[in-house]
Amino acid sequence: MLVVAVAPFMLDSYTLSILVRAIFFAMLALTVDILWGYTGVLTFGQSAFFGAGAYAAGLVFTHLGFSPEMAALALGEALLSAGLIALLVGWLSFYHGATPLYASVISLVLPIVMTQLLFSGGTFTGSSSGLTGYVSFDLSLEAWFWWAGFALIAITALAWRFVHSDAGRLLVATRDNEMRCSYLGINTSTLKIGLLVATALVAAVAGFGYASFSGVVAPELAGFVFGTEIIIWVALGGRGTLIGPVFGALLIECASAYLGGSLPYVWKLLLGAAFVGVIVLLPQGLLPALLARWLPKHWATSAKPAVTLVEAAARPTSGAQATEAVALRGVGKHYGSLRVLKDIDLVAAPGELVSLIGPNGAGKTTLMRCMSDGAERSSGTVHIAGNDIGRAPPYVAVRYGLGRKFQTANVFATLTVAESLRIARTRLDPPSLWRRAEQLALPAYALAVLQVTQLDKKLDTEARNLSHGEQQALELAMVLAMEPRVLLLDEPTAGLTLAERTLIGQVFLDLTHRFGLCLLLVEHDIEFVREISTRLVVLHEGHIAMQGSVQEVVESELVRTIYSGAAATPHGASA
Amino acid sequence: MIIPALELKDVESGYEQAMVLRGVSLQIAPGEIMALLGKNGMGKTTLLKAVIGYLPKRAGTVQVFGQDVTHWPAHRVARQRVAYSPQEQALFAELSIRDNLRLGLSSDKGFDEGYAAMTEHFPFLAGRLAQLAGTLSGGEQKMLVVARALMMRPRLILIDEITEGLQPSVITRLAASLRRERATHGTAMLIVEQNVGFALQVADRYSVLKRGEIVAVGATADPSAEQIINSQLQV
Repeated sequence: MLVVAVAPFMLDSYTLSILVRAIFFAMLALTVDILWGYTGVLTFGQSAFFGAGAYAAGLVFTHLGFSPEMAALALGEALLSAGLIALLVGWLSFYHGATPLYASVISLVLPIVMTQLLFSGGTFTGSSSGLTGYVSFDLSLEAWFWWAGFALIAITALAWRFVHSDAGRLLVATRDNEMRCSYLGINTSTLKIGLLVATALVAAVAGFGYASFSGVVAPELAGFVFGTEIIIWVALGGRGTLIGPVFGALLIECASAYLGGSLPYVWKLLLGAAFVGVIVLLPQGLLPALLARWLPKHWATSAKPAVTLVEAAARPTSGAQATEAVALRGVGKHYGSLRVLKDIDLVAAPGELVSLIGPNGAGKTTLMRCMSDGAERSSGTVHIAGNDIGRAPPYVAVRYGLGRKFQTANVFATLTVAESLRIARTRLDPPSLWRRAEQLALPAYALAVLQVTQLDKKLDTEARNLSHGEQQALELAMVLAMEPRVLLLDEPTAGLTLAERTLIGQVFLDLTHRFGLCLLLVEHDIEFVREISTRLVVLHEGHIAMQGSVQEVVESELVRTIYSGAAATPHGASA
Repeated sequence: MIIPALELKDVESGYEQAMVLRGVSLQIAPGEIMALLGKNGMGKTTLLKAVIGYLPKRAGTVQVFGQDVTHWPAHRVARQRVAYSPQEQALFAELSIRDNLRLGLSSDKGFDEGYAAMTEHFPFLAGRLAQLAGTLSGGEQKMLVVARALMMRPRLILIDEITEGLQPSVITRLAASLRRERATHGTAMLIVEQNVGFALQVADRYSVLKRGEIVAVGATADPSAEQIINSQLQV
């Protein structure tokens, strides 16, 4: 801040005016960093929103003249147009099932369409030469610098606060594993559309400021070349750091202004070479590399406040309990002519623990997928706690009370154990936009899983550094943290030792007996299944071959032939 | 003196700051099957990754058939005919079963013979060469990963939790398959397991890993083996 305060007295007016322009660009770089660096949405289109803001100012001041009222009108128009465009583009890019590549392509198309519109606007938009010579705010260069400089600091500070808050972790969670988010009941489409709109508004304000300051708007401001340049600033500065992209933008803009004049072509070459060099040698960008070298180590690592686990207050179960926790009727699934599931009828009540067994490839995991994602099945209906899931994406079934643990651990690679659990609580305890909570309230049974597997001693460990079995346990704890009514567990004890298995089995019994949850379990460990199940269902070649009590099923001829094989194998050594 | 198939001497390795293996020494003779047991997070997978060359070693040496491979990258270690069958489903989902199996070989020569052997071990593979690996069920994918590793006729194979997610009858058959593979080709094996029963059935010797150190080694034929292992896994 001190630097911003005193800089005007130290620098000549040419440098100062370049810096003001660069500051507006830096705000834009900030929005790209939030989208790309934190959320993983690679966008080339933020320039379009900057252009929308700039042209709002240019058009109003040129055609309607300048007055404080007109300035307010122009700013309002900038926000409105950028917001609406972002809403439309966001909806197009992030609807359920759209791939990230698709979103990037749309972000590339947007600035191209914008520039074409500006080109074809005739005298109204000034076509290719843009608009110049309009009257704008009567401010001295120093005043502009202060305004812009402090605005940049304020926006950076707000963004910093946000991405480091509990809500900000949602962005990283979305980047790491969107599927997991969806299965935690989080609608990532809405989240990303909202984020795009918010960043578009900031970009529009930056564009508005830029146009008011420079007195020139040109179609290039909305173009994809500019949009790509921002990506370069962010990558050079260090994506996912906020400060890095800001300095990247300031540095490159200033260097361009000086060197671009004296070395017109060589400069571009140098910039390109520097970009390639940084990507190859310092893939994290300049700032993180510099910090790693000069900052003492504890600076980088001690930032996270310690989290204490507490037990969540019991929630009153809303309304009358449905008698059918989960009900499938006539569910089928086929890929072309290959029928994977045929006419599955399966009903389970609260407090029941139903185990699904069957040979590898019988369709067990497919069945679980059909229960949770409405788009999966080819025919039939699925009800969760009495609600028809229709064709809705997984987060809807989750909101009806479903929790699903996948066969292979499905967690957030770069989030810590505590952060992951917090994300899982997003729907029950809405996270703060500004703070990190120091307490994490979890239901008793989720705490039990953490204790049994000793994950409660590793709250600050990132998920990717956990062992395979610990990741499985973390996912289970995350699913339980949602306080589901129906639990789908695909091999929950895989990768756990016998002792851990027994303890987890106790937790499952508790869930059904004490808390009245309905559990559906896919397991191969017959001993484990035998001890905790109330009912067994045998799936074979896509249909239910048999169901009944544990005793009946395990001793049946069918299960012996298709599943468990010959009589028990001798234990111990073989020569 | 026989040159061991695999010899680790005081190996230390881990991830960034976290030291996982703290001086592990281990020997496997040619044609020997060793089971590596231990609770979660004790470093079993880390040990396999250190051997195959995915993780740098901070101290100690790793030798494969007398060749020092301590600082070799994974592809060079693999060319010593060391196969690795990881725990996670490391398949090429968009490639067919045939292509996945073929990738373990340097040429088409020997494919048919290898494939015939694999369908014997894993009957589900029969007649499904053209199917995309990504469309297999979870358990089938695990079996394909092992089949791919065995295809290259390794001298030493590292297998990480093969029984996870497999149905009981398949596990029983797999134990027989691994022992037959060893009997016919003399393949040395290091198998990481949670399923103690399976490990004792397949392996000649066992080691228990605890907080990055080997705390027990013994022969599986020893009648007290299971008891020793279980007491080590308790605490």
